[in-house]
Amino acid sequence: MLKVNKLTKNYGKVIAVNKATFEIDNGEIGVLIGPNGAGKSTTIKSIAGLLRFEGEITIGGKPNKSKEAKRIFGYVPESPAVYEYLSVWDHLEFIARAYNLTDWESAAENLLARFDMSDKKDKLGKDLSKGMQQKVSLCCALLIKPSMIMLDEPMIGLDPKAIKELKDIFLELKRSGCAILISTHILDSIADIWDKALIMNESEIVYNNTREKLEADGESLEHIFFSITEPEKAEGGQTA
Amino acid sequence: MKPLFFIIRKSLKNLIKGILKKPLVLIGYIFALLFVVLMVFMAFFMPSELIQSAPPELFRGIVTLVFTFMYFTYLKVGLDKGSTYFRMADVNLAFTSPIKPNKIMLYAFIKQIGATILFLFIAICQIPNLKNNFAMHSYGAAVILLAAVLFALAYPLINMAIYSWVTKKEQRKKRVKWVFNVLAIFVVVFALINLGSTGDIGKTISAVFDNPIAHYFPVIGWTASIANAAVTGFTMEFWVGAVLMTILIAGGSVAIYRMNLDYYEDVLKGTEYVEAAVKAKREGNNLRFNLKVKDNVKQKITGKGAAALFYKNLAELRKTAIFLFFDRSSITVIVSSIIFKFVMSETIDEASTMLTILVFSLYIQLIMQVQVKLNSELDKHYVFLIPESSQKKLLYGTLAVHVKNLIDGFILFVISGILFKASVPVIIACALTYTLFGAVYVYTDVLSLRLFGGVHSKGLLLFIKIIVHILIFIPGIIAAVLTGAFTESTLFAICALGGWSLVLAITFFMLSSGIFNNLESAG
Repeated sequence: MLKVNKLTKNYGKVIAVNKATFEIDNGEIGVLIGPNGAGKSTTIKSIAGLLRFEGEITIGGKPNKSKEAKRIFGYVPESPAVYEYLSVWDHLEFIARAYNLTDWESAAENLLARFDMSDKKDKLGKDLSKGMQQKVSLCCALLIKPSMIMLDEPMIGLDPKAIKELKDIFLELKRSGCAILISTHILDSIADIWDKALIMNESEIVYNNTREKLEADGESLEHIFFSITEPEKAEGGQTA
Repeated sequence: MKPLFFIIRKSLKNLIKGILKKPLVLIGYIFALLFVVLMVFMAFFMPSELIQSAPPELFRGIVTLVFTFMYFTYLKVGLDKGSTYFRMADVNLAFTSPIKPNKIMLYAFIKQIGATILFLFIAICQIPNLKNNFAMHSYGAAVILLAAVLFALAYPLINMAIYSWVTKKEQRKKRVKWVFNVLAIFVVVFALINLGSTGDIGKTISAVFDNPIAHYFPVIGWTASIANAAVTGFTMEFWVGAVLMTILIAGGSVAIYRMNLDYYEDVLKGTEYVEAAVKAKREGNNLRFNLKVKDNVKQKITGKGAAALFYKNLAELRKTAIFLFFDRSSITVIVSSIIFKFVMSETIDEASTMLTILVFSLYIQLIMQVQVKLNSELDKHYVFLIPESSQKKLLYGTLAVHVKNLIDGFILFVISGILFKASVPVIIACALTYTLFGAVYVYTDVLSLRLFGGVHSKGLLLFIKIIVHILIFIPGIIAAVLTGAFTESTLFAICALGGWSLVLAITFFMLSSGIFNNLESAG
C-alpha cells in the first residue's frame, strides 16, 4: 500500500532524512520509532505531501501528492490544529465535503461517541482543549475510511480511555486491510500492536524488521532500539 | 471550491453567533463602530475653515514612507520565515485533502481579503486625521482603503516568490538580505543628509519619499501612488500604480492557479510562525514575540520571597532588551514622541513643548503597554504558590515595569530637554509623570483582569482602555489646566498631572491587590 523509495529531504545543508526506503502492506501496522530529531516527523510530512523531497513515495500505487492517493490516506499531525470558528461537527462536515463522502453522518456520530465527543459536537475549535483537538484530528482522519493512515505521535494528549479506543481502532483498521504507519518515541505505547518496526536514527532508517522475525530471533524491540540508538548503554545492560 | 467556501461561511456564521451570545462584547463592538462612524462623519462635515491644508507633498511623503516601512518589515520577516495566508488547520486538513492546491490558494486569497478588515479599520480611523490636515478629494477615503487592500494582497505573493527562490540556495538569502539592508541604509542616509540641510522633518519626508523615483519604485511606489490620489486626484502615477498592481496581483494569482503547484512546503514555516505569533498575541506577549534572547546577560536572581519576582522580571527584561532595559517599546515611545514634536512645529515655550511630548508619549505608552508582563505570569502557577501576601507579590511583580518606565522616561525627556532646552525640574517632572502614568496603566490592566478576566479581542480591549483612561484622567487634566492658569507655570501643571496619576496608581493598586490570592481572582 505505502512504498517509500530512497526518500531524501534536505533543509539547506542539513540532511533531515537520508535515502529512507520501506513499505507498509495492507493490514500491517508499521511503527516508525527513533529518538527526538531522528527525522520521523519529516518522513511523515513528506509522505503526507506537505514537503518537497527526493525519491519516490506511492500510496496505493499512485504518487503521494496525486488526488487519487490523497483520497485514500488519512493523516494525524503531531500538533493538532483546528479551525477556531468551526464546531467539532463542522470539521467533520468539511472533511466529508472535501473528500466527497456520502452517508457519512452515522459514521461521524459513531466516531464522536467512541472518543466521548458526542456532547462536544457544537463546541467551537477555539474552545477545545489540546486533547479534544487531537480527538477531532483523529475523527477527521478516520472519517474518510482510509486505506492507509499515518499518525505522528497520536497518543500524546489523549486520556487513557481514548488511548485504549485508538488502539482498538488500529486493530479494526488492520482487520479491514488498512495500512497503518505510526510515528512515536514512546515504545510502550505501541508495544502490543505493531507488525513492522522501522527505527530511525540520525536521519536514516537503520532497522526494518517484522515482529515475527524479531520474536523468532528471541529479541525485544526495546533492546534492539537501545542497541542502535545508544549502543554503550545497551552493552551495559541498561534498558528503559 | 465548495468545501473551502464551507469553512469561510461557517466560520463567519459561528463568529457572529459567538459575539451575539456575549451582550457586553456586542455592545463594545457597536460602541466602537459608532465611534469610528461618528469620527469619519464629523471629519467630512466639519466646517471647512477648521480644515487645515498641509501641503500635498507631505501627504504623499508620509503615505510612501508608511508603505515603504510596511513592505520592508513584512518582506524582511518573510525572507526568514516565509509568508503565508494559511493557518495550521489548513495545513493539517486542507493540504492533505484531495482538493487542488490552486483552489486552496484561491480560498486563501479570499480569506486574506477578510483578514484585511482589521487593517481597514485602522486605516479608517486615520481618515478623520488626514481629512483634518489635508485637502482630500471626496473619494480620498476610498483610494486609501484600496491601496491598503492591494498591499495586503500583494505582500504575501511577493514574499512567497522571494522565499521559494531564496530557499533553493543558501547564498541567495544572504544576498537578498544584503540588498534589503543596503537599500534601507541608502534611504536613511539620504534622509539624514536632507534633514541636516533643511532641519525640517516634514520637508525631509517630502524630499525623500515624494519624487518620481519613489512614485514609480516597484510595488512600494505603485501602492503609494494609488493612496496619493486622495489629494492629487487621478494622475498618471495613480493609473500606472493601479494597472501595475492589478497585473502583479492578478498575474501572480493566475500564475499560481494555473501552475502545477507545490507550494505547501514554502508556506509551512510561515504558517508555524503565524501560529506562534497568534498564540503570543492571545497570551498578551505580542510585543515580546520573536525577540532575540541574549544568553550572555549576567543578571542574578537574588532577593527573597516576593522580591525574587522583581529580580526574575529584571533578568527577563534584560535578556530581551537591546541594552539594559532599552527595547522595541522604548524606541517606539522615544522616537515617535520626538518626531511628533518636530511635525507639530508651532512652539509656545520650552516647558509647553515638553508637555506636548509628555502627552503624546503617554498615548503611545498606553498603546504599547496594552499587554502587561503580568499576563504571562498569571497563566503559570508559580506566582500563586509563593508564600507571600498578594499585595507584596503584585508590587514586586510589577516593579520591573516601573523601573523600565522610569529609565525610558528619563531617556526620552533628557533627550527632549537637550533638544528643546528645557529646565532640569521640568525634565524630572516629565519623567516621573511618565512613570506614574505607566503605573496607572499597569494597575488598571490588573484590575480589568480581576473584574472581567480575558477580553474577547485585543483590539476591543485597547479601544475600551483608551476610552476609560481618557475618562479617569479628566480630573487630572482639569487640575493641570487650573494649576497652569493660576501659577502660570507649565512645571506646576505637569506636577498636578503627575500628582493625579499618583493618586490613581495607588487607588488601582489597592483595588487590584488581591489578584494573586488564587487563580480565580485572576479572572
